[in-house]
Amino acid sequence: MEIVRIPEARELAPEDQPFLEATKGWFKIDFVPKMSRVLLSHPEFGRPYGRASRRAMSDGALSRAQKEMIAATVSAINVCEY
Amino acid sequence: MAGTTHALNAVADGLRLPLEFGNSSRDPLVAVPNTVEASPELKAVFDEIRTFYAMDRVPAVFRWMARDAIFLQGYWSAVRAAFTAASLDRLTKEVLALAASMTAKSDYGVDLHLREARRLGLTDQGLTEAVEVVQLFNTVTKIADALQLQPDFNPRSEP
Repeated sequence: MEIVRIPEARELAPEDQPFLEATKGWFKIDFVPKMSRVLLSHPEFGRPYGRASRRAMSDGALSRAQKEMIAATVSAINVCEY
Repeated sequence: MAGTTHALNAVADGLRLPLEFGNSSRDPLVAVPNTVEASPELKAVFDEIRTFYAMDRVPAVFRWMARDAIFLQGYWSAVRAAFTAASLDRLTKEVLALAASMTAKSDYGVDLHLREARRLGLTDQGLTEAVEVVQLFNTVTKIADALQLQPDFNPRSEP
């Protein structure tokens, strides 16, 4: 189990709600992932980190699909279940 | 691909084999055979490796494996299969191998796969983006592990 309480999206700051909604669209899912909620429970870290993440994973010289595969490879090497 | 890369790196870094392209002061822990005295059977494998990587020599990790022809042939066959273009192109596979090597802190792997990815067309911008994602997910995975986050998705279900 998680060692911290994961806030529900609605508990997070009103100014973060648009980003949280956009996150659902980004992943084409109907919930906000735990990582996004955990990071935004510390807005001074989570906000810039969230923006940087979105930028990093967007299509560029590498496609978003290639970037997701890099992410999966890093997760595999780090044996990260999440 | 991640598995064969990790295995190759473990052998090369474990034996402290010198880097193939970057400056290296590593002193190998074992003698690395040259290719001159190879049997015809091994020569054929060496030629294939040189062609695959467009190199005029055989990387030290494969030369060391050639101490046992069956060892080299089996491993090389697996590497070749993993890195040959299929659903993913070869450049994408090399970028993934680079990400795996960076994450595992493998000097040998970063050296080999960075050169190979560049040879296959990775631009400076592409490299920057790949490193950005490696950085991002090395952060995310550590945060997830530290907080023991349980997965959002059931990995066994269809998307």
